[in-house]
Amino acid sequence: MADTATDKAEQAEDKRLVQTNPDYDPSVIVETQNLSKVYRDFWGRQKVRALKALDLEVRKGEIFGLLGPNGSGKSTTIKLLLGLLFPTSGRALVFGQDASETTKNERIGYLPEESYLYKFLTAEETLDFYGRLFDMPAKLRKERSDMLIEQVGLTRSKRRQLKEYSKGMTRRIGLAQALINDPDLILLDEPTSGLDPMGTREMKDMILDLKAQKKTVIMCSHLLADVQDVCDRIAILHQGDLKELGAVNDLLQVSDETSIRAKGLPQSAQQEIEEVIRKHGGEVLTVENPRTTLEELFLNIVRESEQRPGRRAISEQDAENGEN
Amino acid sequence: MVVNEFPQITEWLFGSANNPSAIYIFFLLILAATLFGLFFGYLVAAFRHGPTEAFYVVAKVVSGAGPDWLKLSPRRTFAIAKLAAKEAIRRRVILIVFAIFALALLFGGWFITGAENPERVYINFVMFGTQMLILMMVMLISAFSLPEDIKNRTIYTITTKPVRASEIVVGRILGFAGLGTGLLILMGIISLLFVWRGLEHRHQIATNENNEYEFVEVDRNETGRRASDDAILETRTTQDSGHTHFVEVLRDVRDKDAPKPVNMDAVIREIPAGDKTIYERLEIESVGGHTHKISVEVDSDGTEDLAELLKKAKFDISSARGFFRARVPQYAEKLVFYDREGNAKSRGISTGDQWAYRGYISGGITLSRAEYYFDGIEEGLFDTSDKLPLELTLGVYRSKTGDIYKQIRVGLQFESVNEGEDATGDRYVSEQLEFESEEFSVQVKAIPRTLPGQKFSASGELLENGNFDLFEDFAKNGRLKLTIRCLDQDQYLGMAKADIYFRATDKPYWWNFFKGYVGIWLQMMIVTCLGVAFSTFLSSPVVMLAVICTIIFGFFSEWLQKLASFTIEGGGPIESFVRLITQENTSRPLPEGIVRNIMTSIDSVFINMVGAVTQVVPDFSRLDFSDFLTYGYFVDNDRLLVAVFISLAFCLGLTILGYFCLKTRELAA
Ligand SMILES: Nc1ncnc2c1ncn2[C@@H]1O[C@H](COP(=O)(O)OP(=O)(O)O)[C@@H](O)[C@H]1O
Ligand SMILES: [Mg+2]
Repeated sequence: MADTATDKAEQAEDKRLVQTNPDYDPSVIVETQNLSKVYRDFWGRQKVRALKALDLEVRKGEIFGLLGPNGSGKSTTIKLLLGLLFPTSGRALVFGQDASETTKNERIGYLPEESYLYKFLTAEETLDFYGRLFDMPAKLRKERSDMLIEQVGLTRSKRRQLKEYSKGMTRRIGLAQALINDPDLILLDEPTSGLDPMGTREMKDMILDLKAQKKTVIMCSHLLADVQDVCDRIAILHQGDLKELGAVNDLLQVSDETSIRAKGLPQSAQQEIEEVIRKHGGEVLTVENPRTTLEELFLNIVRESEQRPGRRAISEQDAENGEN
Repeated sequence: MVVNEFPQITEWLFGSANNPSAIYIFFLLILAATLFGLFFGYLVAAFRHGPTEAFYVVAKVVSGAGPDWLKLSPRRTFAIAKLAAKEAIRRRVILIVFAIFALALLFGGWFITGAENPERVYINFVMFGTQMLILMMVMLISAFSLPEDIKNRTIYTITTKPVRASEIVVGRILGFAGLGTGLLILMGIISLLFVWRGLEHRHQIATNENNEYEFVEVDRNETGRRASDDAILETRTTQDSGHTHFVEVLRDVRDKDAPKPVNMDAVIREIPAGDKTIYERLEIESVGGHTHKISVEVDSDGTEDLAELLKKAKFDISSARGFFRARVPQYAEKLVFYDREGNAKSRGISTGDQWAYRGYISGGITLSRAEYYFDGIEEGLFDTSDKLPLELTLGVYRSKTGDIYKQIRVGLQFESVNEGEDATGDRYVSEQLEFESEEFSVQVKAIPRTLPGQKFSASGELLENGNFDLFEDFAKNGRLKLTIRCLDQDQYLGMAKADIYFRATDKPYWWNFFKGYVGIWLQMMIVTCLGVAFSTFLSSPVVMLAVICTIIFGFFSEWLQKLASFTIEGGGPIESFVRLITQENTSRPLPEGIVRNIMTSIDSVFINMVGAVTQVVPDFSRLDFSDFLTYGYFVDNDRLLVAVFISLAFCLGLTILGYFCLKTRELAA
């Protein structure tokens, strides 16, 4: 019900923007034109050129990834989109409005690099406070905050102060506060940083969930796996320069290689297949029994141990190994 | 207490001949600040974005200000206020401040001693303490809040919500002001209890070695004390709270149908004697501003001798009265001095002290006198309608050595003032009332309502000799002239405008106490706004420094304004410094020449700068009513209103300053 209400508000807002600005395209959520940022010191001397002439367009409903090593300007880009920084030159438009407008924040959720929250508040108080900042009435605040606490899995610790929270829990409450207003655009700065693999997976699932709800997500990360798993399109930044921009599928496809996976194949059959490949003029690169990734292995172990808690899980496995 | 010249609220707001209108100054300052802000903002923007782009940047900031204030959301603002208060409480500043206050009260009480007006010391102590602690507290919590939020980057999660800069600034101010108000109320109530407990005491009638009450003949030759004229016996109370009171037995003779004495419980015997009634009654002499109520019970078993009778009497002396006063002085509108030749002067005769607050008149058969012109003298102001209390504090300067215990005689004369429309009215002149001055203490003279005098027509011809009414005849139009003369040859009497006034009916003490704390509250509001406004662009230590400087400037702003208008003897800072080194007298002009010219011109630049600063720094002395409470004077409404307006103007200006600074600040840089 809330969704339809915001959709209506969204449509009205779009209509207004189309009327005032004929160039406005409602399907373009974020647009940057020649966006640059130079950090200066107190005296106006140039310290760092953090971002150089970035041109981007993020469309409605996509998950856009900013990828790059530490210090490549990812956070700077996100802060420029939020109006926390003012561009040195160029423009950043969000929902067709300048990034310095406060009204655009009604439809935005932001998870900072580290969750910069008030440590003396409990999870409930935190969400209630941020709800008030959206001018939400008490009943709606309660509804949303209960739902989000449940969703990020903090129900049991919702009455504890944030200073007692672990890094992973802080991240979760950070995400919950970013979603309190049911935003259309969510900006996530290193959403998986500091999370264990379980947490990382849950975070990724939640991001994919947002996509299912037709939200637009911009996230940045230096972890390739994260970006690969969830993003539709990515931009690769390095030292403030845009190096690559495109759909993940296109970028990762190695078009001149083919891989075949099979199960229950005898050794002889493998040799036969190799011969067939050679006959067709191909080259066999590797033949091996595939390994699972470490991430998957770890996740399997944790899942198993959750079903059968305690040390028993290990000793049983040991016993099995001994029998074999 | 020195009462400074004080204009009426309407005069202050809308201006008069010698005072420019405060509203005018306010708008002038706003205009200047706006122009300066625009210019400065443009410069910064031009530096960042180039001269043409800068124009748009400035225009955008200015045009954004409208919606930011008009669409301010109460829910958001209060959420921020609540959080700011919560955060401040967590910092424990309040706890520490309160602990200091409690300790000060616990141990401060030990050091307050002395019989002479202890209530002044008590009230001054608690008010000064409260003021300092409250101002320090709001300064600390407001100086740390925003800079900490920016440093911890918690501000990121605030400004990325639809929160306006106006809401952040106003929310913070409200949060801190709320906390400060709560603490101030608490401290005010505790202070009042502390003062009341500290002053509360009772006495007994003292007894002699044989454990008997002993009333003795009044010794009129004893120095340092003057017994009442109709006192016949006297004794003392026990020593409590560091003082004793004299208790006198008065022989009060009244007409049979005249009103009875007010306190009939203190009457020992009521003896009818023809068409008179003699009341033998007790009276406690007041000490250091307070007195007690006494009541007596006697067994009339036929004992004739009064002293014997009193030996067996039962006395009851009530708790202290008169500490908690809110006197309402009716000051003169104008004071004119006349020298020996009868020439009008705005200041009195100089007795050598340049800085004297009082002007002097000379005694003997000269024309030297001082005239006080009162206005608005009405019967409704006084509850004791047959007597008008006139309070005088007179200074004495003796040019002739002699008996220094002998007091100087003073003459008072009342006269009607007929000017303008009333010029054709009859004129009344009273006979001179004479009394001895008590040096440097407040003397209360009960002026009888009907005074003997003469009635003249407008043309100056004597119409009638007789008794005339102070309200209905002398001050028919509300105006009254009081002429004061010194009657002893070669002696001088000193006085200032605030030294002589009619004391109207007292106002309730709690109301005055409340007003005094409103003064502290207003100062607190300004300091909160200063702290929040400065913290939008400065780091916490710098904010504290800036706020402290402003407060110091604010408390001395009257002195600085004087400096700026060049009325201080000895010139500006450089000239004074030279005088200090050369040990030159401050009133003698320095030798002419280029050095002096350079010196005075540097000084005048400096002084003009100081003058400009004093205009934009709040005058804290105008918001400080602790002297009124200390000395037991009522804070008049005009004064309070002016203080409210001053504070409002500053808070408004500072809030807007804070808003623009926060709005244009790049928070993540
Ligand atoms: N507030 C700042 N002041 C000066 N330099 C900064 C500031 N923030 C970031 N930088 C610099 O800008 C560059 C880009 O930083 P950032 O956008 O945070 O990188 P990342 O891609 O890791 O998020 C880095 O070289 C960093 O040192
Ligand atoms: Mg970063």
